[in-house]
Amino acid sequence: MAHTIFKSIKLINPATNLNQKVDVVLQNETIIRISKDLNLEKFKKDNQTIIYDCNGLTVSPGILDMRVNIGKTENLKFTQITAAENGITSIVILPNQTPKLNNPSIIDHIKRQSEDVNLPKVMVYGAATKDMDSLEMSEIGLMSEMGAIGFTNGNKSIKNSLVMRRLMSYAAMINRPIIQHAEDEDLSGLNQASTTSIKGEMNEGEMSTRLGLIGIPACAEVIMIERDIRLAKLTGAHYHVAHVSTRDAVKVIREAKKSGLNITCDTAPPYFSLDESKLLTYNTAFKLSPPLRSEDDRLAIIEGIQDGTIDAIASDHRARSKDTKAQPFSAASIGASGIETLFSITLELVHKKIINIYQAISLLTINPAKILGIDIPSLEEKKVSDFIIFDENAPHTIKQENLKTSPTPFDGKEIHGKILATYINGRTAFMNEIFKNKIMK
Amino acid sequence: MNKLSKNNYEVNKSSPVKLSSHHLLAIEGMQKSEIQKLLDRADYFANLDKHADTKYLSGYVVLNVFFENSTRTRVSFELAARRLGAEVINISLINSSIKKGESLLDTASTLNAMRPDLLIVRHPHSGAPLLFAKYLSSSIINAGDGRHEHPTQALLDALTIKRRIGYLEGSKISICGDIANSRVARSNIHLLTTMGAEVRCIAPSTLMPSNLEKLGVKCFNNMQEGIKDADVVMLLRLQNERMSGTENPSEREYFKFFGLDEIKLSMANPNAVIMHPGPMNRGVEIASALADDTNRSLIKTQVEMGVAVRMSIIEALNHSKNKT
Repeated sequence: MAHTIFKSIKLINPATNLNQKVDVVLQNETIIRISKDLNLEKFKKDNQTIIYDCNGLTVSPGILDMRVNIGKTENLKFTQITAAENGITSIVILPNQTPKLNNPSIIDHIKRQSEDVNLPKVMVYGAATKDMDSLEMSEIGLMSEMGAIGFTNGNKSIKNSLVMRRLMSYAAMINRPIIQHAEDEDLSGLNQASTTSIKGEMNEGEMSTRLGLIGIPACAEVIMIERDIRLAKLTGAHYHVAHVSTRDAVKVIREAKKSGLNITCDTAPPYFSLDESKLLTYNTAFKLSPPLRSEDDRLAIIEGIQDGTIDAIASDHRARSKDTKAQPFSAASIGASGIETLFSITLELVHKKIINIYQAISLLTINPAKILGIDIPSLEEKKVSDFIIFDENAPHTIKQENLKTSPTPFDGKEIHGKILATYINGRTAFMNEIFKNKIMK
Repeated sequence: MNKLSKNNYEVNKSSPVKLSSHHLLAIEGMQKSEIQKLLDRADYFANLDKHADTKYLSGYVVLNVFFENSTRTRVSFELAARRLGAEVINISLINSSIKKGESLLDTASTLNAMRPDLLIVRHPHSGAPLLFAKYLSSSIINAGDGRHEHPTQALLDALTIKRRIGYLEGSKISICGDIANSRVARSNIHLLTTMGAEVRCIAPSTLMPSNLEKLGVKCFNNMQEGIKDADVVMLLRLQNERMSGTENPSEREYFKFFGLDEIKLSMANPNAVIMHPGPMNRGVEIASALADDTNRSLIKTQVEMGVAVRMSIIEALNHSKNKT
């Protein structure tokens, strides 16, 4: 029987509260031993045994990225492969793609299309309303039966209050969360009726005034969240706010959680790592939704991550073609790539001593699983697991030319931390050269 | 202080200006000394007989690339370039290849392949000239981009003020109107504050952009207060094409509170002058009689100065490119 041994590896497993140096033994696809004092001699006799010297390396459950857009520049398989190379072992995709994920058969189709035991698992959010126009509820019960794990209008708000009330009420009945892109689209100038001359383009403030771009006030986010919190209270729904970006939003979510409501939220690396001053040269890689906010908002997002108000970090991956980005800012597409930088930018919070590595891994793994009500990823004996091996400290520079998706808002950023191997269902889905050289002779 | 500026004003008019960049994309970030030199050189051109030989740039090719309608700015640039002896080609792209689906950069690089020396770009999107400058090899002049900047307008306004009242530093200038949607306002704010003028901005709160005071100006919603003791009242056009219909109840209401009439003007310095970048909406921003008052209105002088200022800029960009 083939054994793979990861010798002297730091195991971080939030589900069992483990954070210690161990040896991990994989037999075929199953973890059979996690031990502090493993007798290697027994395994060494078997010439099929591979032992990796993992001194200085870390193993943890694979990342669950709970917010991924599959855009026109990618197909699902490409995204899965890219995700695996970056430590992501499960992705949840948004319904705003072509065709829209708004009926049970297409949910089923996506699931079948993406079923490959060697690639990251693909989960799906169904469209909350039929055309994602906030008018009519879609068949969320049927989609749920087919495996849709939550419902959302993707990058548009569920705008109509009555529709939101009904959706929350219904979703509570079938025990699924409603995921909201929180933005008052009338206020931000992003409703469908807005002409291009008044569409919000960036955060409103001194910077938008200087650049002559149309501002989206920060309160466009919290206005929607405050309404939704009241509806969540009325209906008992699980309400999840995606990509939180403002101080006020963090504040009201913190208070709502304290009052006992079932409210969760996530943010994405740009919102704790960058602020609106990046837009100074009209670089369209920074044209995001929600827009990059003020430095004060960025600091509030960090506080929210520290105190647990923000439950999870997702990539909010929305890759765009170079053509749609090589445009004047107003005409450029919205969004940036994320799956290739999610891990390293999150790890930056650890290197800056904002959170510890255990918290960082939790934000990327068990927390999103808890929010979505799916199996909690855990590395335990007798289990077949998805896990990643990484070097927390390996320095490198993010360069657009080395990435497979674009545009990255982190081009040129120097970071620490690198994924060395990704195992899905106990099998190697990705392994880089550095790790291959760790085999002990 | 004023004496000193007047002294500086006489220096170095007879040679082309050298700038730190071979583009003119924005006033924000420009050095005071560069602005000063451009104005001095423009003043020199303004004083020349229009038939004087200024054809220093023969063989220099200028493309006027306009993605938005314009009459005065385009003609002014064309005249300026021609007086310098340059070749000028006007290209209106409002209804052209862009509508056929060609991307802006493709259009720009096609033009670039014809190897012009200078592209003068007007575009409805803020920042578009910067994009041109990033990808093209020729010099770029921003002739107005969205709500961002209109640097040559600010320079010609400054020259107009300087020639009339003699100095910029310490002058009180009230800019009134649709500040939120105005690139003219932004360029003027940057230029005038850089030169040490006291700038006040007057607008209804719906047309006052966020945190404007951080640009170094005082903001007023009351025109009488904002205009008090002003040396210059600069009016801006209501840019209805950039509005959603919720900024302003009606033109007559706007005129009541923010249109310049004799009563409001009486709050200003008795010698105050009136400026407007045009085109004007008579009876909306300004009472018709005031617009035509040749003692107070510098609106036609602004147009005249436009040519001189643009000559100094085109010449300077050529000079800055050759010498760097």
